[in-house]
Amino acid sequence: MTLAASLRAIVGDTHVLERAAELLVYESDGLPGYHRTPSLAVFPANADEALAVVRTLASAGVPYVPRGAGTGLSGGALADGAVLLGLHRLKKIIAIDPERRVARVEPGVVNVSLTKAATKFGLHYAPDPSSQTACTLGGNLAENAGGPHCLKYGVTLNHVVAAKVALPDGTVVELNADDSGYDLLGAFVGSEGCFGTALELTVKLTPNPERVVTLLADFTSIDDAAQTVSAIIAAGILPAALEMMDRATVGAVEASIYAAGYPTDAAAVLLVEVDGAAAGLDEDVQGVDRICRAHGARDVRIATEPAARAKLWQGRKKAFGAMGRLAPHLVVQDAVVPRTKLPSLLAQISAIGAANGVQVCNVFHAGDGNLHPNIPYNANDRDEADRVHHAMVAIMQACIDAGGTITGEHGVGLDKLRYMDALFTADTLDGMCRLRDVFDPDRRANPGKVVPIRYCRERRPNTQMAEGGRRMADATGGQL
Amino acid sequence: MSAVTPLEHARAGLDSCVHCGFCLQACPTYLALEDENDSPRGRLVLMRAVLDGRVAIDDADVATHLSRCLGCRGCESACPSGVPYGHLLEAAREQLAAVRPLPLVARVILWVFARKPVLRVALWFGRMARDTGIAAELARLPGALGFPFAMLASTAREPARPWTPRAAPTRATVATLDGCVMEGLFTDVNRATERVLAENGYALCAAPGQQCCGALHVHAGDAASARTLARANIAAFEASGAEFVASNSAGCGAMMKEYGQLLADEPQWRDRARAFSAKVRDASELLAAAGPRAGATVPRRITYDAPCHLEHAQKAGGPALQVLAAIPGLEHTVLDDRDQCCGSAGIFNLIEPNVSELVLSAKMRCIAATQAPMVATGNPGCLMQIGAGLVRDGRGAVARHPIELLDESYARQER
Repeated sequence: MTLAASLRAIVGDTHVLERAAELLVYESDGLPGYHRTPSLAVFPANADEALAVVRTLASAGVPYVPRGAGTGLSGGALADGAVLLGLHRLKKIIAIDPERRVARVEPGVVNVSLTKAATKFGLHYAPDPSSQTACTLGGNLAENAGGPHCLKYGVTLNHVVAAKVALPDGTVVELNADDSGYDLLGAFVGSEGCFGTALELTVKLTPNPERVVTLLADFTSIDDAAQTVSAIIAAGILPAALEMMDRATVGAVEASIYAAGYPTDAAAVLLVEVDGAAAGLDEDVQGVDRICRAHGARDVRIATEPAARAKLWQGRKKAFGAMGRLAPHLVVQDAVVPRTKLPSLLAQISAIGAANGVQVCNVFHAGDGNLHPNIPYNANDRDEADRVHHAMVAIMQACIDAGGTITGEHGVGLDKLRYMDALFTADTLDGMCRLRDVFDPDRRANPGKVVPIRYCRERRPNTQMAEGGRRMADATGGQL
Repeated sequence: MSAVTPLEHARAGLDSCVHCGFCLQACPTYLALEDENDSPRGRLVLMRAVLDGRVAIDDADVATHLSRCLGCRGCESACPSGVPYGHLLEAAREQLAAVRPLPLVARVILWVFARKPVLRVALWFGRMARDTGIAAELARLPGALGFPFAMLASTAREPARPWTPRAAPTRATVATLDGCVMEGLFTDVNRATERVLAENGYALCAAPGQQCCGALHVHAGDAASARTLARANIAAFEASGAEFVASNSAGCGAMMKEYGQLLADEPQWRDRARAFSAKVRDASELLAAAGPRAGATVPRRITYDAPCHLEHAQKAGGPALQVLAAIPGLEHTVLDDRDQCCGSAGIFNLIEPNVSELVLSAKMRCIAATQAPMVATGNPGCLMQIGAGLVRDGRGAVARHPIELLDESYARQER
């Protein structure tokens, strides 16, 4: 029996794709600058089917790439000749326990669906990546996803209590945050599909705050806005979220159906949310308002009604998508710098953009120094594509030089392999490979991602794998 | 015709997709079939592959996934980038139809709808089947066999209570689109629409010579027939002299609002088409602009399902809710996912019955959860699709046009 036939026997005829036309859409995730063609795609319906698929792939010795909704922004879910294992059909919320404030979910549950289901208990799932209306919790787990409200509430890692994981060899293990000994769940979260595949997650639910206030401050200088960010934190206020958007981003959002009423003539806007117990919240609101104005804010708008607040947030969360209207292609970047370095980094980014003749649109989680410099461009213009590439490399180097790192929440995937050796020594990268070998000694799970393959000592990989790995390394060694 | 294919013509729209995936959860066929090839993002990838010469337009997979789209345009309401998905789909289908004939059922239906005398006869037979009770009997046939009869049976109505509008015509002049299915199977709703518009101060003018709006044709890829119908309608409504053209069918209204784009490449019609489209309103928009005037209490429990071509295509979902809110006594339970398609999508339910049934069953689960005995929705396709679902589930609930409820409210005042 062929591999496809074995998989069809598990998931049914319509949930295995083999023909070229049907695999086209699975060539990319949310970062369509990369295209890799899977050998086939398989979509199990539940945990039992998913496990049977993993075991079939294990006995065939075939590499595979898990994929949630394909909204990732680092090329992490691309399968170059490997089998694409789509987990989006595992979308059941198994149970919500409002007493313990936890939910058991399948990995394909869409992030916002969990919050929607938990609303009737006055609870929500706190990590809120901007793609939360589309991305899956399994994908969030793999990438250790963040989001605006992670400034106060923490990232995915802080909200996963347990995971039932199918290791690449088909063994099922339960990883639990409460286990004594090494924090294996901690190692698994953010492993980008290289350590195995979660079949079930248990996550924390967070009580909805008693009161929430969202402020929109607009500035005529990017530097003023950046200085304000550190000043707010330095004043001892911990906002739920503290986001920044520059003029180019605001322009794209305001032209879209998610127009939020942001001032299009501002150099930058800050979106600040404070939440918590009603008592004392006004002090924080006044504090933020005062600090913004003291740093040159032209205006500070305060929204308390849910509809008005939602509108302000919709604009921010759909900003990346809205940039599609600026040019045919878009590079999305993700880097982190110490918060106090934001003003100088933003000045450098602006200078790098100007020097390369490209437009950088900044929309980011300012409160935790997590930058997202995005560049809209036309990939068919070779010269422009080269300039974009140079600008991105320079920006990433500037972030590293400032003591930052190359990803805050999008993961390394394929896109950031090239920056790994700028950040880590060969020994450190080899250490990462050895950690991986604990979970996936054959290196069949999401091959060629996260750690450049040349840093990993050979350890008897099967032939097929070695080939796949080489192909991947070649493909990513070059340009964008 | 130039050598430029419809898709090439629409390339700029395709370029604005950044592959973010925000459309996925807004797509009823993706949710039902769970394959991205049946999602907006997937279909856009297929269209781009056709443009780039990576696959042929008549590749069996390309054709399947393009045909399985409902054309509900729910994705447009989720797209931050403003991808004109509906137009891209029409362009792709036009290109597809040129090399691959539509299914026979679709060809017959489109042929009939483009010929008013034939259509009248067909609808007469439909009414006969309904009024004699034959449709209700045949609705019990299993699966896709009985479904069209359930659709027909669901259009049966008790005669509306008679009443006469008394308001003075202080507002604008309006000509109404009769619509094919609306006039043929929902005759009473058309009369009710005229009454409530008059009661809210609009002066009605006749527009003889009007035709089918052409929506079914353009959605299926037969743009040429749609343009012929559009030109006839523009001429007919111009001659009526009315300031507004009103439709109580969301699909027809959406089509007529897009005549400007449909005829954009015809210099002698372009400006007339644009001027015409600017006059088109859904009846609920005119009623909401006038209040509407409150009538007597209508003690009913309802839920409301938004027609896609009102919500997503016309982006005019609010006025229908305003009309319902203006009716005293209505108890409105909000329907979960009310902005998602019911699976009707013009003639989609007849040519893709299996996909349509999957999409409808999701809708029926949400409707059942409201426990409302009545579903209001302002489009003949949705009325019949949901109506058929209700006929078959046997709970005794019915589907009604919001305007029927407003009409009832005024009629009750008359007594």
